[in-house]
Amino acid sequence: MKRQAWTTTLAAYAFLAPALVLMGLFTFYPVLYGAYLGFTEYTAANLGSGEPPRWVGGQNFALVLRDPLFQIGILNSLKYLVVVPILQIASLAVAVLVNRKLPFMAFFRAGYYIPVITSISLAAVMWEWIFQKDGLLNWSLRLIGFFNQGGQFNWLLNEHTALWAIMLVTFWRGFGYCMVLYLAGLQAIPGELEEAATLDGASPWQRFWRIIVPLMRPTILLCSLLSTIAAIRVLEEILVFTGGTGGPLNSTYTALLYVYNKSLGLDFNYGVASAAGLLIALVGFGLSYLNFRITREDRGER
Amino acid sequence: MVKRLLAAGAMALGLSAFAQTQIEFWTYYLSPNFDNYIKSTIADFEKANPTIKVKWVDKQDTMERDLTASIALGKAPDVVNLWQDSTFAGAQNGILLPITQVVPRGLLDQLYYPNVLDIFTVEGQVYGLPWYGWLDQGVMMYNPDLFAKAGVDIRSIKNTDDLLAVSEKIKKATGAYGWLPPVKDPNGASFLGRFFLEGLSIYDKDGKANFNSPAHVALLQKYVDAMKNDVIPQELLRKEAFQLSNELYSQGKSAIIVGAPTSLNRVKEANPDLYKKTKIASAPLGKAGIQTGGAMDLVIPKASKNQAAAARFALFITNRANQVKFANVVPIVCTAKGCESDPGLKAKSDDPLEIGKGMNSSSGRLINPGFKPPKNTDDIYKNFNDNIEAAFLGKKSAKQALDDAVAFWNANAK
Repeated sequence: MKRQAWTTTLAAYAFLAPALVLMGLFTFYPVLYGAYLGFTEYTAANLGSGEPPRWVGGQNFALVLRDPLFQIGILNSLKYLVVVPILQIASLAVAVLVNRKLPFMAFFRAGYYIPVITSISLAAVMWEWIFQKDGLLNWSLRLIGFFNQGGQFNWLLNEHTALWAIMLVTFWRGFGYCMVLYLAGLQAIPGELEEAATLDGASPWQRFWRIIVPLMRPTILLCSLLSTIAAIRVLEEILVFTGGTGGPLNSTYTALLYVYNKSLGLDFNYGVASAAGLLIALVGFGLSYLNFRITREDRGER
Repeated sequence: MVKRLLAAGAMALGLSAFAQTQIEFWTYYLSPNFDNYIKSTIADFEKANPTIKVKWVDKQDTMERDLTASIALGKAPDVVNLWQDSTFAGAQNGILLPITQVVPRGLLDQLYYPNVLDIFTVEGQVYGLPWYGWLDQGVMMYNPDLFAKAGVDIRSIKNTDDLLAVSEKIKKATGAYGWLPPVKDPNGASFLGRFFLEGLSIYDKDGKANFNSPAHVALLQKYVDAMKNDVIPQELLRKEAFQLSNELYSQGKSAIIVGAPTSLNRVKEANPDLYKKTKIASAPLGKAGIQTGGAMDLVIPKASKNQAAAARFALFITNRANQVKFANVVPIVCTAKGCESDPGLKAKSDDPLEIGKGMNSSSGRLINPGFKPPKNTDDIYKNFNDNIEAAFLGKKSAKQALDDAVAFWNANAK
C-alpha cells in the first residue's frame, strides 16, 4: 500500500477509535457479560453475600424453555410481528402521498410524525378512551352497524382483542418514524428517472413498482429490521396498558416482559433473565437474517 | 428503663465516635412534592449531628434495580426507603442488614408499634425501621348526592357486605358505581386481603396455603357475581383500585372511595365542587373487624460502609416528632408509638381532608399486615392473580381458580 493510503487508513481508524472504545465499554462488554450470566446462577443473594456468579451450564435455558409463561411470551412476541409488514406498507404508501409539492403537505408530514414524539403515558390515556367499553372505537363500530350496544366490550380486557389493540398503538406510534425514513429515501431518488419513465408512458403503478420500490430497497430493509426488532422486544406498551401484568389471562404477556419481571421484579434472578434475553436475541437474529434473505431474493441476487 | 435502652442504643451506635461521615439516603417517590419536608428534616439532623452529612437521592420506579446495581458496583447507599414486600425480598436475598445489629431490639420495641415492626420482621429478624404506613381501608369518603339519589343512608353500612349491597343500589338508581374493591392490583395479591378481612385463613398451621375452602369459594363467587352484574367495574382487572376509584369518583361516576384520605387531594384538584360536598365516615370492615395495611421503612444495606451513622439517621427520620410533622404535610399513617394521642394529629378544621387526616394518621396501631408474603413471591402472586382473573372473566369457576392457585402455591413456595 502506498504511503498516502496508509495515512488515510490510519486516520480513519483514529477517528473511529473513540467511538469503538465507547461501544466496547457500553455495548459489547455488557452484551457479552449478559450472555455469560445466562449460563450462571446469579441472584440478589449473590449480591448480598458478595459471591460471584456460579456456572450452571444450560440449566437456565432449560428452565426458561420449560416455563409456560416464557412460551406464552415468545408466542405473543411472534404474533406481534404482524405489525411489521402492515407498518411498512402503510408508511411507504403515505410517504409516497406526502412526497408531493401540494399545499398543506408540511402539515401532513408533521401530523403523521406527532405520535412518534408523544409519550407512551399520554398515548395510553388517549387510547384507553378509545378502547373502553363506552369508548370511541365501540361508538364508531356501532355507528356503522357493526354491533349493537349489548355487544360492546372493553378491547383491553378481552383476551382475544387486547394484544391486537396494543399492536394498533405500536403501529400508530411507529408509523410516523418509518414514514419519515421512507420520505427521506424517496427524496433521494433522482426526479429524472420518474420523468423519463413518465415520458415512456409508464403508469403511476408501474413507476412505483419498477422505480421507487427497487431504489428504496435499502430503506425498506432498514425500516423492516428496525420494526422487527422493536416488535420482538416490545415492553413499554404492555407495561402501560396492562399495569405490567400482561393480562388479561396473559394474552399480552410478551417475552421481554418475562425478562423484565425475572430481573427487575422482586425475583432478582439475573441468570434466568439473561438466559431468556439471550433466547430472545437469537430469535431477533433469526428474524433479521430472514429480512436480509427476503430483500436479497427480491433483488434476484441468489 | 427507656433511658437505659436509649443509652444502650447510643452506645451501640457509637454516638461520639463519628469523624466527618457522609451517608447517602435514598427515598422512593418523595421528590419534588415533599422536598421541603425532607430537606428541613435532614438539616435538623445535620445540625444535631455535625459530624454526619446526608446526601439525599430520590429514586422513582427504578429504585430496586438501582439498589442492586449500586451494591454490585460497591457503591451501596446507606439508608434506603423500601416497603414491606421489597424489604422482605431484600432480606431473603441477603442484601439487607438486620437492624438489631445496630439498634437494640428493646429500643425498637419502645419506639414503634409492634404490629408495624412485625411487618419488617423476616425469619425472626427486624430488617427495617418503620417510617410511615397506610391503611387499606382507612376511611370512607362518599358523595352524599349520589347516596341521596339512591335513597341510601350511610348509617346502614356496617361492613363490607353492606358496602356491596349499597353499591348495587347506587348502580341501579344512578348508573354510578358504589365501592371499588381491590381484586387484582398488579403489585401484590389483593384478593388475599379480602379473605383475611373476612376472617378467612390464608395458611394452615404448617404454613401451607389453604384458601380454597367452601367459605373462600363463596366469597370469591360473591365478587365475581358483582363484576358480572356490573356492580363493580371490570376495569378493576386492569387498573389499581385506588387509581380507578379516584378517576371515577372525581368524574361523579362512583360514589365511594375507601382508603387513605390522600385520595381527596386528587379529588380536590380534579373536581373542587365535589370535594367540598364529600363526607367522611369510618371505613366499614369485614367480618374479622380489622384494618389491613402496610408500611414503608428505612433499611440499611449490608454493603453500607457507614452502618452506625446510617442507623442513627434512620432513627431520627422515623422518630415520632418527625413522623407527626410528615403527617401534617401529607396524610400518612404514623408508625411511632404514642401517635394515637399526639395533639399534632388532631383535625384543625372541618375540611374533609383535615378530618380524614386526623382519623387516619393516628391509626398506626391498627395496621395489620395480615399475612407474610410467601417466598418466591413474584411467581406465586402472579399465578394467584392469573387464577383470580380467570374466575372474574368466567374462564374458571371460583372453586377451580382457588384450587389451582393453592396447588401452585404449595408446590412453588420454596
